[in-house]
Amino acid sequence: MKSITRRSVTTVTRLLAPWAILVAFAGSAIASHVDVSVATVGEVTVGETVAIPVALHTMDGSPLAGTVVTFYLHMSFAGVEGEAEIGRAVTDEDGVASLAYRPRLAGHHELRMEYLAAGRSDIESTTTVIEVTGGAQLYHSPAGVDVPGVGVELLMVVLATVWSILFWVVLRIVAIARAGGEVREAALGARR
Amino acid sequence: MRPQIDAANSRLMNDETNEAAVSDRVSDDPVAPPQPTTNGSGFGRRRFLRVLGLGALSIVPLPVVSELIREGGVADSQSEPVHGRGAPARTRDGRVRRWTMIIDLRACDGCQSIGQPPRCTAACIEGHFAPEPMEWMQVFEADLAGGGTQFIPTPCQQCQNPPCVNVCPVGATFSTPEGTVLIDQERCIGCRICMAACPYDRRFFNWGKAPVPPEALLADYSPEHQVPAKKGTVMKCDFCPDMARTGTLPYCIQGCPQQAIYYGDLEEDVATNGREVVSASRLLSENGAYRLKEDLGTEPRVYYIPGHGEAAGRDAFDPGRSPTEWPWMERAEGAVTWRR
Amino acid sequence: MAALNDWQNRLEETALGPVRRTGRRFWAVVAILLAIIGWGLYAYSVQLRDGLVVTGMRDRISWGLYIATFVFFIGISHAGTLISAILRVSNARWRTPVTRMAEFVTVVALICGASFVVIDLGRPDRVLNVFIYGRWQSPIIWDVLAITTYLTASVTYLFVPMIPDLALFRDRLAGRSSRWRGSLYRTLAIGWHGRPAQWRSLTSAIGVLMILIIPIAVSVHTVVSWIFAMTMRVPWDSALFGAFFVAGAIFSGIAILIIVMAILRRTYHLEEYVTEKHFVYLGYLMAAFAAIMIYANISELLVHGYKLQEGVEFHFRQLFLAEFAPLFWFYLLGGLCAPIVIALVPATRNVRGIVAAAILVTLAMWIERYFIVVTGLRVPLMPYEPASYAPTWVEWSLLAAGLAAFALLITLFTKLFPIIAVWEVAEDHEASAVQAGTGIPARAIPATADSPRLAEEAGR
Repeated sequence: MKSITRRSVTTVTRLLAPWAILVAFAGSAIASHVDVSVATVGEVTVGETVAIPVALHTMDGSPLAGTVVTFYLHMSFAGVEGEAEIGRAVTDEDGVASLAYRPRLAGHHELRMEYLAAGRSDIESTTTVIEVTGGAQLYHSPAGVDVPGVGVELLMVVLATVWSILFWVVLRIVAIARAGGEVREAALGARR
Repeated sequence: MRPQIDAANSRLMNDETNEAAVSDRVSDDPVAPPQPTTNGSGFGRRRFLRVLGLGALSIVPLPVVSELIREGGVADSQSEPVHGRGAPARTRDGRVRRWTMIIDLRACDGCQSIGQPPRCTAACIEGHFAPEPMEWMQVFEADLAGGGTQFIPTPCQQCQNPPCVNVCPVGATFSTPEGTVLIDQERCIGCRICMAACPYDRRFFNWGKAPVPPEALLADYSPEHQVPAKKGTVMKCDFCPDMARTGTLPYCIQGCPQQAIYYGDLEEDVATNGREVVSASRLLSENGAYRLKEDLGTEPRVYYIPGHGEAAGRDAFDPGRSPTEWPWMERAEGAVTWRR
Repeated sequence: MAALNDWQNRLEETALGPVRRTGRRFWAVVAILLAIIGWGLYAYSVQLRDGLVVTGMRDRISWGLYIATFVFFIGISHAGTLISAILRVSNARWRTPVTRMAEFVTVVALICGASFVVIDLGRPDRVLNVFIYGRWQSPIIWDVLAITTYLTASVTYLFVPMIPDLALFRDRLAGRSSRWRGSLYRTLAIGWHGRPAQWRSLTSAIGVLMILIIPIAVSVHTVVSWIFAMTMRVPWDSALFGAFFVAGAIFSGIAILIIVMAILRRTYHLEEYVTEKHFVYLGYLMAAFAAIMIYANISELLVHGYKLQEGVEFHFRQLFLAEFAPLFWFYLLGGLCAPIVIALVPATRNVRGIVAAAILVTLAMWIERYFIVVTGLRVPLMPYEPASYAPTWVEWSLLAAGLAAFALLITLFTKLFPIIAVWEVAEDHEASAVQAGTGIPARAIPATADSPRLAEEAGR
């Protein structure tokens, strides 16, 4: 009896195995028959624009054109965390969608790309990481116009000129007073 | 170098007739030209220029030097804290934040759907003990192109070319590196030229002793948290910089039941309304954002996404909102109120 | 020679008259003015205690009667510039009897005007912040600089030509007036004895000042106008404001001068020196400036009114048709058109007519400052109902007190200082006598008691 059981199991296993393998392959093909690859992006500094290319191909290697890929970045701000959409790109005839991305915060960031391939009903996604190093201040206020020399310096020059002339007039008054004083001295001297 | 004098007086300059008779030095010749004296008659060109130079030097030094040191003007160049406020808010990688507010008018229905006075205004009033009748965040109701109205919550626009800062004679109102415009009520002299200059009606004056509740008097005043209000000075929305620096959203953002107001940082390009995080630049560019009175060149930091509250289910032709209230039952002693 | 001495003596007696004799009427006038000022001080104390809420100003219309009155007084201060400086530079001889009064009015008007800015402050206890923390970029600081400079220059310009007359007072009143008066004149006359060296200094100082003070005065009311024009309020946002305000200032300055002249002429019997001719000439000047103001108004209103950009339509309605129409049309017709008509029609071209025109102009110019300030702030900036403004008793009281202070200071001046520029009038008289060919020598030095030798020389 034992030998029959063993031989039955072996037969069933041998019969089922190819189907299992077939199903396994078919299964993985059903789960993702799109072959997606993201080129690793090297180190990037804040403010520097970098291209993030995503390549979509079918399993038999032909490129998937015309697919919209949406890029998300995990952000945290003022106690609220979540994913923010940072861009979208459409795959070209080579199946490559490239986003020109300008990182705005240093650190280790996770980017998630979502796409819905033609003929599919599920949205699929893939992730990549990007290392960003700190940079200089990016946003500068739109300031005014700086014309050299026209400004406080001009005001100072005008004020100084006017007040110097007034000062000169005061000196004239002093001269009047002094001339009067000398007259009195001369008169006194003449009387002696 | 003798200045020009009118003809009637010119004979006084004619030395020949006068000097001979009454010269300072005794002279026998009646028509001899006078000898130069030291009594100011020979004040020549050189002495004039010397006096001019001395005058300029003696009059002008200190203000010019202090001005050159002070680097007045663009907030960008200020690196040290100004006027008793904290250090500038920074991103996680040390860059200075540039605050912005993005108000999604598709979601703002003036709190019609909840039947209350606008909650953003109410939250701001309660958080700051804003004296009656000040509405630092004020919800205006504007006409739409085809009839009907939209609600426009209007905080201080935090302009980058702020008319109020430009005209203030004592620098009591000033721009910060984060782009907010603050007021130091300890320095304000109450001249109100800033109120004349603001094109958005966003500055408020404490005409009398401010009508705030007694507990407001216990707070420590700072330009970043204007409690309590000071009589005879100006105040306005300040973007809650003390809260924003610590990562807390301002009162108006917290108060909005539709999450219509986003607070963001243009440096990190991020914004949140308390529920979701978005890329600020995307939110602005993809939704037709605009600013108020753009043609005036004030460069405000408050953006609006056009709408009339449709996301909250509001019909554009349904006018009216509840009037703002100031909730305290009791006012500090001696406080009076006034109409705007 | 005798005729000259006679005339000279009469002139000096007229100049000394107010200082020698003080009647009951003077004290009555001073008492009334002091009472008004006292009431104004009480009103100000109420304002200090309770804050600016006692005025009619509120957030939407945050400037009102105080700022209008400030601009009005600074405008009046241009009387001195026009008469003393511009007419002096153009060598108009007829100005000589009125230069002193014009300069009085200038200095007093500047003081009164500056005080109204401080009255308008919400925190007058912090007024020194303007000097400690002043920002050069602010129009108010430009204003402080300009008014300080103008006040200094005007006080100097009042004092310097007055020195020979102060010496006259010193000599003629020596021992015949109170001790403090005697020492006042002695100090202020700074040892004037009519020496040629002194004359040289005096004339060169006057010459420089009269030219310098014209650009200073122009700058003063230009920067006052820029307090408004540097904002973006629709009625104020105009490139024309500087010139418009300077023209208006000289215009109102002439009017006030005519009024002051008429009062002082009647009170101190100056009819021989301040004649109908002076009123008529000033009336012509006033009419000329009225024409300039009409031109400026047309420029301003037509250029904006043709296009009717945002806010302008509201402004035009409130100004021409609705709330401010009575004030505006009075200003236009009574203040700008009437003076021209009065000056052109021979029947009204006399002292009474010109003084009536001057009163209309003064009233109209205060009204113009008032509606410029209030209508400028009234145009709504956002979608809200336009506010309204009405001055309260505090504001009216302080206006009355300011005008009373203006009158009081001028009254006190006339009791202390020579109201006529004696030496200049004498000079002018000599010059015209010479031209008439009476043979009187072309040089007359006013007689001074302690230089008989000079008087003798003058007679030669």
